[in-house]
Amino acid sequence: MEFLSLLDVSFFLLAGFGALVGIIFGAIPGMTATMAVAVCLPLTYALGLHHGLALLLGLYVGGISGGMVPAVLLNIPGTPSSITTTFDGYPMARKGEGERALRVSVIASVIGGLISAAVLFLFAPLLADFSIKFSYVEKFLIILLALSVIASLSSNMLVGIFSGVIGIWLSLIGTYSISDGGNGHTRLMFDFMEPYLFEGFSLLPVLIGIFGISTILLESEKGVKNELSDERVKLGKGSHFSFSIFKGRLTNLVRSSFIGTFVGMLPGVGGSAASVLAYTQEKNLSRDSSEMGKGAPQGLIASESANNALTGGALIPLLSLGIPGDSTTAVLIGAFTLQGIQVGPLFIPENTDTWYIMMTALVFANFVMFFVMFYAIKHIAKVVMVPKHILYPLIVMMCVVGGYAINYGIMFDVWTLLIFGVLGYLIQKIGLEVAPLIIGFILGSQAEVYFVKSLESAGTLSIFFTKSPIAVVLWLLIVASVVFSIVLSLKSRAKRRQNSSADPDPV
Amino acid sequence: MESGLTSLLSVSIDFETSHLFFPRIIHWIMAVLFVIILATKTIPFLAAVKRGERTLPILGESMDGFRFFGTLALIVAYFYLMAVVGNLFPYTGYGFLFVSMVFVLLMSLMYMHEWTKKGVIIVVINAIVAPSLVWFILAKLFKITLP
Amino acid sequence: MSMSSIYKTLGTSVLVAGMAFGSAAAMAADGPLRGNVRVVIGSTSTGGDTYQNSSIVVDALAEKLDLNMKVDAVGASSAFRTLDRDSRGNTLMIFHDQSYLGYLYGVEGYEDIFEKYTIGPTVAINPGNAYLVPKDSPYQTLGDVIEAAGNGQEVRVAIQPGGVSEIGFSALKNAVAIEHPGMEDNLVAVNTGSQADKNQQLFDDQADMINGTVQANEQYTRLPADDQKAMRFLWLTARNSTIEQAPEEGLGQTTREQLLEYVEPNVSVTMGGDENFTFDKEFFFLYNKDMDPAIVEQIDEALSEIYAEGDIQETQKNSFFIPNFKPSDEASEYLAEKMSRYEGIIDNIK
Repeated sequence: MEFLSLLDVSFFLLAGFGALVGIIFGAIPGMTATMAVAVCLPLTYALGLHHGLALLLGLYVGGISGGMVPAVLLNIPGTPSSITTTFDGYPMARKGEGERALRVSVIASVIGGLISAAVLFLFAPLLADFSIKFSYVEKFLIILLALSVIASLSSNMLVGIFSGVIGIWLSLIGTYSISDGGNGHTRLMFDFMEPYLFEGFSLLPVLIGIFGISTILLESEKGVKNELSDERVKLGKGSHFSFSIFKGRLTNLVRSSFIGTFVGMLPGVGGSAASVLAYTQEKNLSRDSSEMGKGAPQGLIASESANNALTGGALIPLLSLGIPGDSTTAVLIGAFTLQGIQVGPLFIPENTDTWYIMMTALVFANFVMFFVMFYAIKHIAKVVMVPKHILYPLIVMMCVVGGYAINYGIMFDVWTLLIFGVLGYLIQKIGLEVAPLIIGFILGSQAEVYFVKSLESAGTLSIFFTKSPIAVVLWLLIVASVVFSIVLSLKSRAKRRQNSSADPDPV
Repeated sequence: MESGLTSLLSVSIDFETSHLFFPRIIHWIMAVLFVIILATKTIPFLAAVKRGERTLPILGESMDGFRFFGTLALIVAYFYLMAVVGNLFPYTGYGFLFVSMVFVLLMSLMYMHEWTKKGVIIVVINAIVAPSLVWFILAKLFKITLP
Repeated sequence: MSMSSIYKTLGTSVLVAGMAFGSAAAMAADGPLRGNVRVVIGSTSTGGDTYQNSSIVVDALAEKLDLNMKVDAVGASSAFRTLDRDSRGNTLMIFHDQSYLGYLYGVEGYEDIFEKYTIGPTVAINPGNAYLVPKDSPYQTLGDVIEAAGNGQEVRVAIQPGGVSEIGFSALKNAVAIEHPGMEDNLVAVNTGSQADKNQQLFDDQADMINGTVQANEQYTRLPADDQKAMRFLWLTARNSTIEQAPEEGLGQTTREQLLEYVEPNVSVTMGGDENFTFDKEFFFLYNKDMDPAIVEQIDEALSEIYAEGDIQETQKNSFFIPNFKPSDEASEYLAEKMSRYEGIIDNIK
């Protein structure tokens, strides 16, 4: 236990401080964990490797967790991976259960984070060897599985799938990127758009545009009245949080944490796919999933435990293959190279002290995150009490900052906010569905690369079935997911017919 | 039989045109779904509109036109002027700082239903303090490039 | 007002952050370059070599010139566009050979940098560009690969198309064409993306050889042979004289002496005649064409002083970069000549 001598008070202070700053970054719509790590990266020069890592891992954990706050309270995912948190979090907040939703999310987060840290600690090299069994084919099937949630998520399956396909289409705009091994040609646009859309629309501005700006447009159309927020607060008194929410949710919690860890560990897939996949599986496997999407705590549990489990998962390939599992760990690599430390398959055996230090920081940051969030929630939840005429301009301003800063200062990303704000408004007006569209957008470009690259090397569609036993298992899951959502939709249709009061969608 | 299936499944992708391969598939799926939705949803819906049972989205709804179009106009002006002003003071973030102050102030005033003295003061203070704070933390402390 | 609680939290963090960061406000300096300067780079990664190298150079430059300078990883297409719009000198760019290789390979979004921009000074070399095979590969040397392709055997090489990752492959193909005319198509490019993707192609047995880097792949070469992930260097494209300047301890557990085994003349890829192909990935500045020439001079001068002091070389070498300062004029001529040589290769194998 030689590494213990390397730990000092300032080490823990930095990890805690990191978690705190990370939470603030994550909680501001448009600011992400990646950004938090990137802006603090230069500090690691001065701090030295171990203290620098404490700070950065704190930021990472805090940033991923902080994303739940605007997702629940404002319906804007603070980070792309908290997208599924909005599905149940915001409906709960509207029912006056914002505080309760946040508490559920925090607990799910810390458990997800700790489970993934444990998995990282115990099985990193082993899992890294497993993760390289996943080639383009298997990765495509994982994306397909995540996409299959669209069917069960949409209130009208046909419209939902159509919206999802539009999302995929939107994600293909731009070049077929060379950095993914594409040929670098642009498509789906006119020549004059090329200077702006060369790299396509970037994810974060699209997300905050479609959630943040379009919400404001919808509200402005209704005259921005303040009554609703008072109503919310009053209702908030009625529903108290208790740990009994977690009763019978252990399977969900553990399953989602493992899914998060696992998806995080696949290079390239990472990020938002984790929470989407966990959400899909809860929706498919749980017996009482019909309320999901309308404000069910189990949706929050799935989403938040999975997205925090990402942290440990994404560190697996980083530390045992030298390959980042998601965008934040890609920045984290910089911290190592700045110090002249290589990450690769021999990192853990050759840097045992650093490895233990990182684990300590990771676990500690999770606890700090938990205590800070759990006790600050009461105050954070009051954001909904801020009068809208104060809150909304500030949201727009923060969206601008986030959009502009995500790619280190590109003005078109700010315009993307408006484009997708208006698009989000129109979509909701004509009865298309936002959630499937955005999931299509998030996963679309990966689906393309993995699909095309699989075919390019194999030359036959049969590769998707015959590649490996893993592929077969994934197919079974996909089929189960699709069958399930069909059954579910038939059931709900039958129910609706019985009630015969529900309005059909205006499309 | 076997070889028939194999040739049916075989696909060869030319690298030079591979950027169009996946979009083409998506276009087909989109077109088919669109036609189905048109037939099963949109046409019955339009018929209902004609019979007066339903109203068209956006066009047929009542809306607060002043606040809606005001919001759109303000956002467009905000985004545009931010870049213009920012260009006068390259990479200082002043474009963001000053234009945000004006934007936050105007949008707050537009959304405020009753202009009380206290309300306006809060709005003005907020419009000055919030952008300054954001600018100071992000542009100065964290050295994030702002317009 | 309830915003106040948020402000309070923010305020506290500002205080703490302020203590941690210190303040570095610089006032306008005397030279023609003034105000805040933004250095955009052709990569979107802040963990990659372009960013790392740029921040070393820009930090030193900012201190020397007493200016606020900031590196922004906006990516190639955005960086070029941002540079196009600003001739005041507040926007500078740092990129590497990709800037003209992209043009030579006809990648969309790349134009002739020698025509469209002013070429600034070169600052460093990343000597790590490498080609690797699985440890149990039948190919013991790069000569074996050329021989095998020349004898009609297909050799698949995983690369990222359209630039730095492809140039070594093109040179190899060219060498096969020279030594075994007509057989060059046996060398097949497997077009793929990131280093992770390239490694994966090797693990999946979809490629026989991959492009990689010393930095990213060195640990893989030290894995035991029975590990599926184990690799072996066959070739470093850097010049012998470049690797000579690397720190003696090399990188990781691979010493400079070991690295030298993989560069010319020990490994040679002919370009025709008695010339051998080499490729050093060099980082250099790019300026807007209409920028005040006085600024070009000012930066040249400042960098000359910085390199004369000698501290920056240490920092660069610690991060496995080879210092390589050439003032603008010299750099421009040198890079133009470099480009024309590679143009020949790429034309040859078309």
